[in-house]
Amino acid sequence: MTKLAIGLAAITLPLAAAAQVESYNIDPFHTIPYWETDHLGYATMRGHFNKTTGNFTIDRAAKTGTLEITIQTASLNTGDTDREVRPRTRDEHLRSPDFFNVVEFPTMTYRATSVTFAGDNPEVIEGNLTLLGVTKPVSLKVERWRCGPDPRTAGKRYQCGGNVTGSFKRSDFGMKFGLPTAIGDEVTLWMSFYGFRK
Amino acid sequence: MYELWSNPVVQVSVVPLVAAFVVAFVVALLLRPLQLGGLAVVAAFLTTMYFVSGLAFSPLTATRKIIILSIAAPVVGILMDFAFKPTRMGAVVLALCAAAGALWVFWPVLAQKPAAEGWLLGASVVVVISFMVGFSQLYLAADAVRAGAAGLGLGLATGVAAVLSASITYGGYGIALGAGAGGFLLPQMITGKKGFAGATFTLSAMLTGGLVAAGTMVLAQLPWYALLVLALVPVGARLPALEKAPVWLQAVLLSLYCFVIGAAACALAWPRDGFSI
Repeated sequence: MTKLAIGLAAITLPLAAAAQVESYNIDPFHTIPYWETDHLGYATMRGHFNKTTGNFTIDRAAKTGTLEITIQTASLNTGDTDREVRPRTRDEHLRSPDFFNVVEFPTMTYRATSVTFAGDNPEVIEGNLTLLGVTKPVSLKVERWRCGPDPRTAGKRYQCGGNVTGSFKRSDFGMKFGLPTAIGDEVTLWMSFYGFRK
Repeated sequence: MYELWSNPVVQVSVVPLVAAFVVAFVVALLLRPLQLGGLAVVAAFLTTMYFVSGLAFSPLTATRKIIILSIAAPVVGILMDFAFKPTRMGAVVLALCAAAGALWVFWPVLAQKPAAEGWLLGASVVVVISFMVGFSQLYLAADAVRAGAAGLGLGLATGVAAVLSASITYGGYGIALGAGAGGFLLPQMITGKKGFAGATFTLSAMLTGGLVAAGTMVLAQLPWYALLVLALVPVGARLPALEKAPVWLQAVLLSLYCFVIGAAACALAWPRDGFSI
C-alpha cells in the first residue's frame, strides 16, 4: 500500500507541477516594439517594428518564466515612407548597413534568462538581446501586466497582456552611424504585448 | 559649427575622408621610392573604416570580410609584383581568386534571398569583381596614372552611388577609396613623373572598390545594372590620352573619362519605382 502511494505520488506530482507552467503564444497584431532615440540633440525620433513573433511561459507557483521574441528588422517604420524628391526615405536608410543591415540580419531576438516576480506578477525580465549578430544583456521592466479571459472571444480564450520597457546603447551592438552627437546612442524600448494561452 | 559637426554626413564621411586623404598622401609619398605607393589606397580605406565603424572582426559580417580582403589584397599584390612577371595567366588567376573572395564575402547573404534574385546578384558580383581585377591587372597596372585615375573614378562613383542607394557608410568607404587613389595620383601630378602601380595598387583598389560597390548592391539598394556600369569605370582609364602631355593633364583627362562612366552608374542608382530589384 505504501509502495502504491509513493508510486502514485511519483507519477502525479510532476504532472501537477507541469500543470502550473502556462505557455503563451505572442499575439503578433498587438505586440509592437517601439523605440526612441535622440536626433541631432533637438528632438526625439520614434519608430516601431510591424512584425513580431514569439512565446512566453509563466509559472506563478515557482516564480519562473521564459520569454522569446523575434522581430523582423525589415518591418521597421518611423513614418517616413515616401521618397518625394529624395533618393531614399529614412526607413530605407534605417534598413541599410548604416543601421539595422536588414539584408544580412533579418531578425533581432530577445531571450529571457531570468524573471523576477512581485507577488504573482513578473516585474523584471533579465535577458539577452541579439542585434546585428551581437548578443548583450538587456533588462526589461514590466510596467503593466494582467491576465484573464479575452472579452473578444466571450472568455473562450485566455490571455495575458501588458507593457515592458528597457534601454540599451546601440554602439554596444556595433550600430555606430551618427555617433557621437548626430543620432543618440541610448535607445529606449517600449513594447505593448499580448499572449494567448496555448 | 555645432550643426556642421552634428551632421551625420560630415561625421561619417568628411572627417574620416580628410584623414584618409592625408594618410594616403603621406603613405604614397613615403613609399613611392619602394614602389609601394599603391598602399595609399588601402591606408585611406582602413583609416575611414577605423573612424566610421572600427576595425573589429566579430561577428564576421560581409563588411568585415571586405576589410579582411582589403588587407589581403596588397599583400598578394606585392607578392605578384616582386615575385612574378606580369602575365595574362597571372591576371586570370588573380581575377578568379578575387571572384572566389567575393563569393566568400556575400554567399551567406545571397543564400538568404529568393533563388532568382540570389543568382542574379551573385552572378553580377562574380562578373564585376573578376572583370575589374583582371582588366586592371592586364591593362592598367603598368601605368600608374591610368591606374590611379581608374581608382579615383571607381571610388568616387561607388561612394556617390552608395549614398543614393541608402548607405552613407558605404558611400564613405567608396569615397575613401577615391581619396586614396587621389593620394596616389597627386604626387605624380605634382612631380610630373609617373610612379609604379602594379598589382599592389590595382588589386587593392579594384578588389576593395568592387567589393564595396557589390556590398552596396547586396546589402543596400544599388541596382544590379548600375553595378555592371560601375565595372566599366576602369575601362575609361584605358581610353586614348595625350601620351606626350604633362602627367597632370593626363591624370585629369583620364579621370574625366572615368567620371563620365561613373556618373552614368550614379544616374542608374537613382531609384526608379518599378525598375529596381
